[in-house]
Amino acid sequence: MSISVLVLIVLAVAAAGYVLARRRALALAGGDRRKLHSLIGYYGQTVFLFASVPALLLLGAWLFVQPIVIENRVAALITAADIPEGGSLDLVLSDVRRVAAGLDAVAAADGLSEADVAAMQADVSTVRDRLAGVGVALGAEVKPNVFKAATVYRGAANTSRLAMAVAVIAVALAGFGLSIRRVRPDFRARNVFEAFLVTLLIGASLVAVLTTVGIVASLLFESIHFFQLYPAKDFFFSLTWNPQFRGGSSLGIWPLLWGTLYVSFVALLFAVPIGMMIAIYLSEYASKRMRSLAKPAIEILAGIPTIVYGLFALITVGPLLRDYLAQPMGLGESSSSVMTAGLVMGVMLIPFVSSLSDDVINAVPQAMRDGSYGLGATQSETVRQVILPAALPGIVGAILLAASRAIGETMIVVMGAGAAARLGLNPFEAMTTITVKIVSQLTGDTEFASPETLVAFALGMMLFIFTLALNVIALVVVRKYREQYE
Amino acid sequence: MDDMRAVENAVSTAEIKIAARGVQVFYGDTHAIKDVDVDIPDRTVTAFIGPSGCGKSTFLRCLNRMNDTIPICRVGGKITLDGEDIYDKRVDPVQLRAKVGMVFQKPNPFPKSIYDNVAYGPKIHGLNRNKAELDEIVETSLRKAALWGEVKDRLSEPGTGLSGGQQQRLCIARAIATSPEVLLMDEPCSALDPIATAQVEELIDELRSQFSVVIVTHSMQQAARVSQRTAFFHLGNLVEYGETSHIFTNPSDPRTESYITGRIG
Amino acid sequence: MTDAAVATPPRHGSLLSADDRTRRRNAAERRFRLYGLIAVGIAIAALIVLLSSILVNGSSAFRQTFLHLDIHLDEKVLDKSGTRDVAVMSKVTTIGYGKLIDAALKTTIEDEGIAVAGLTAKDVTDMISKEAAAQVRTRVLADPDLVGQTVSFKVLANGRIDGYLKGRVTQESAVRDSNVSPRQLHLADALREKGLLSRDFNWGFITAADASELRPEAAGLGVAILGSAYMMIIVLVLSLPIGVAASIYLEEFAPQNRWTDLIEVNISNLAAVPSIVYGILGLAIFINFAGLPQSAPIVGGLVLTLMTLPRIIIPTRAALKSVPPSIREAALGVGASKMQSTLHHVLPLAMPGILTGTIIGLAQALGETAPLLLIGMVAFVRDYPGAPPEGFFDPAAALPVQVYNWTQRSDPAFVERASGAIIVLLIFLLIMNAVAIVLRRKFERRW
Repeated sequence: MSISVLVLIVLAVAAAGYVLARRRALALAGGDRRKLHSLIGYYGQTVFLFASVPALLLLGAWLFVQPIVIENRVAALITAADIPEGGSLDLVLSDVRRVAAGLDAVAAADGLSEADVAAMQADVSTVRDRLAGVGVALGAEVKPNVFKAATVYRGAANTSRLAMAVAVIAVALAGFGLSIRRVRPDFRARNVFEAFLVTLLIGASLVAVLTTVGIVASLLFESIHFFQLYPAKDFFFSLTWNPQFRGGSSLGIWPLLWGTLYVSFVALLFAVPIGMMIAIYLSEYASKRMRSLAKPAIEILAGIPTIVYGLFALITVGPLLRDYLAQPMGLGESSSSVMTAGLVMGVMLIPFVSSLSDDVINAVPQAMRDGSYGLGATQSETVRQVILPAALPGIVGAILLAASRAIGETMIVVMGAGAAARLGLNPFEAMTTITVKIVSQLTGDTEFASPETLVAFALGMMLFIFTLALNVIALVVVRKYREQYE
Repeated sequence: MDDMRAVENAVSTAEIKIAARGVQVFYGDTHAIKDVDVDIPDRTVTAFIGPSGCGKSTFLRCLNRMNDTIPICRVGGKITLDGEDIYDKRVDPVQLRAKVGMVFQKPNPFPKSIYDNVAYGPKIHGLNRNKAELDEIVETSLRKAALWGEVKDRLSEPGTGLSGGQQQRLCIARAIATSPEVLLMDEPCSALDPIATAQVEELIDELRSQFSVVIVTHSMQQAARVSQRTAFFHLGNLVEYGETSHIFTNPSDPRTESYITGRIG
Repeated sequence: MTDAAVATPPRHGSLLSADDRTRRRNAAERRFRLYGLIAVGIAIAALIVLLSSILVNGSSAFRQTFLHLDIHLDEKVLDKSGTRDVAVMSKVTTIGYGKLIDAALKTTIEDEGIAVAGLTAKDVTDMISKEAAAQVRTRVLADPDLVGQTVSFKVLANGRIDGYLKGRVTQESAVRDSNVSPRQLHLADALREKGLLSRDFNWGFITAADASELRPEAAGLGVAILGSAYMMIIVLVLSLPIGVAASIYLEEFAPQNRWTDLIEVNISNLAAVPSIVYGILGLAIFINFAGLPQSAPIVGGLVLTLMTLPRIIIPTRAALKSVPPSIREAALGVGASKMQSTLHHVLPLAMPGILTGTIIGLAQALGETAPLLLIGMVAFVRDYPGAPPEGFFDPAAALPVQVYNWTQRSDPAFVERASGAIIVLLIFLLIMNAVAIVLRRKFERRW
């Protein structure tokens, strides 16, 4: 039974509950709506919610847990001998899943019964060809144990599916039955319905907390996994980054951290003065007309996806810098460089810095400006000597937020900064960043349980900690600053 | 006090510092000031009184072109300072404001140290040749503002940490540090408690010996206490202008009388 | 109180002439102003350069070079049985069709009397895209009665020939290029003169699936657009109700305590977490832990939902907050429950703001690339995903990831494709933002 059918059944039960609850309420009240405690709709809605929500939650939870349980059972069937040289349990398990899927397809295509499928075990060597016939390509012959695991997997999956369908429908019916029995004219349907709704609202707001928990848990567990395979000392203190597929990699974070900070520094060096001058110009000098034209234009920059900036770096800025600056000055031959990524990221950050600075500058009370003008200061003197110092904490907060953006930015550096881990000062050389390496370590063909792959999680952890710290500090600084003028 | 005031009233008639003729102010479509003529004498405290929204603050802000910072505000008519039209094209408002200082309704010290607050004006106008001179200007200004004794040991602390009355005196010190000729005060005591108000009022009286002071106030008692001349504004019109004692004891316009006796306002 | 030692302050000069210092200060003022203007100029120039570079590079992707050929669909090759049975005919691979196209081109060249010195048979064959045979095959299998006739086809020309017409390939570069010869370019010129080679609007770019590295001329965005659309559906269906529910709770019902404080801080921090971290989350939780398939829109949609949620909650709360308390009080005053007052009055009034915020959040999600790279959306996918909801679990590409994918390929023709794909992406974003602006303009209420 497919999941969509199951969902439809649950909804049908709930809908029936809605109709029946209304009828029942009305009948018990002797056909007089005014004798009911709540509006009649609330009786229906209450039953609808009790019938559908618990069942659907169970369905979601089941789908989430089922693969884990089955996986564990199947994994027990795989012996060490089934794992090929240099492979891992994970890879064998994914083979098992593919064989199982293939068997499903074969069974569906040729109209085989379960017994026929089981009979295939006798001649495992034909399985690969038959699976290829339905479009499931396998890298090697199917081993008997893998085939057995696959059949167990199929069996468990089918049983689990059936059990799930039964359980979900049972919960829906139970919710329906229990709630409809409570429908009486004096049943406080509205209160019950609203309490149920508030619970759902709380659940929705917990999604944010769960997301954080999920992020922290996934980063933490895999990082711990990584540090079991690779010494933490080397990760934090080694100055070389040189992953090897055959093991013996050096995975020091410093070259990546350096690249990240260097690119971010160039970006901020470009974006902060320009962004701030834009904010100052637009809030203190520009005519209304100018503001109404320039502001949206700069907001467009903020709405452009980073992949566009990445492509811009790759096909326009990179070659331009190489041909007109780096090569003539003898500084480098590479079109991807710290400068390329930094400049393009700087452009990306301009609207961010300018809108944050704009908020901050506008938060400085008019009285400050008046005080300064009243003493005969020019506008620029007022800006530089009164407004900016007064807005300093806010501006620092804005710069920290921009820095956090820069450090976490991925596409621009992937396409603009290069892939070579290097501790150098020349901004026209290619360098690489934490985010670039997260992408390259997790999108390659390396196996999942190796330190070369898992290092990405440790890098992600570092990235998360850095950006979180910057954000928290920035928020505290800005909040303090706001309080100062409230 | 009374005989002192009588002497000074005689002085105040001597020299005209600011002369306004036919001043009109528009805020967008609102006619805020209608055809006002006023002569403000030197070394005198002149008070502008009137009910809220009567235009007295608006008119005050015309005297050092603070209204320039409001885009929708237009000023017509003629205002002269020592015979020079301050709305002349050649006049730089920056230079004008160095001559005509201003103190605002709410104390607005900059978020800097006390010293830097006072030194700000002299620095931007380049009034000092060296640090020693600047120190001297700061000290003199603080003394003139009757604040020196209270802050001399903590000049590097932020000005925002002072009490309300001290802040306002700091703002006065800041204004007189640029050695202006006229000091405009826009309800300088409205945000202060009575004790601080008394201190500031006493200070205003002292300042009269060196500056022409124009003070906007909504408190008639304050006008009576500190000023020698009083102008009464109502709905954008200058209703009556003359010796303070005369206005308060023997107003010639019925509107002034209603205001003073508390029937309007 | 007055310091007697201080003399009367120095009198200033005339107001009518600016003194030196004032002039210097005014010059500094003008300079400062100019810096501001320059800064605005830099930002706007950057925007213009960015957009025009993409447009210049990408607009040619929407036009493609085609060969107009009359192909004789030989029955002996395509349907030996003569039954026109599709099942039998499908045994003939693209190689068989390729030969027919090849022959058709050679005949055409002879008939038109085109002579290019030193032209080899391979040169002629390579004029045609490897994809052309598949195009013809698909059309024939769809309409078996065409077999035996001579039908005029518009087939894709080789990517290098396309590049020649677009100015990417020149006679000079062809000398150094092993994939194209100067003779072919002369042939292309001749065919073009006869009207047999032309550039037309490239529907395939928008509807076709991706193609291999060697066939840039056939690469299209169809799968990517579909994949992105699937993900946007998932994001919309999940993040709008969850986001609105969470906002209503936090804004209207939540008590002011440390727990709600925690949720609020949490949400504002989540909005600032780098997007790639969400990719890691998706990989670890949805793929490795929950066993969802790689490259599937469902995973991409879930990851983007989590990423978009805080970006929807923040404007939604602002929209709810902007509804004045008097409205709530009025509803409560006539005896409505808090839930009724919220659902009947506050929420409808805040709806325009909520929708605007949602659309902008969706637009951001549509352009997001980094997290999708980690959950396998970079994979080369040629098959269209099935219809939802099952199709959500099929492998698919995504628009921004397709752009990245193409930039990683060596053939310069893919640069044009990548920029073209960006144009498509930007058009979608433009439409979404325009809708948001219209919504805001139309329903904006000032209290």
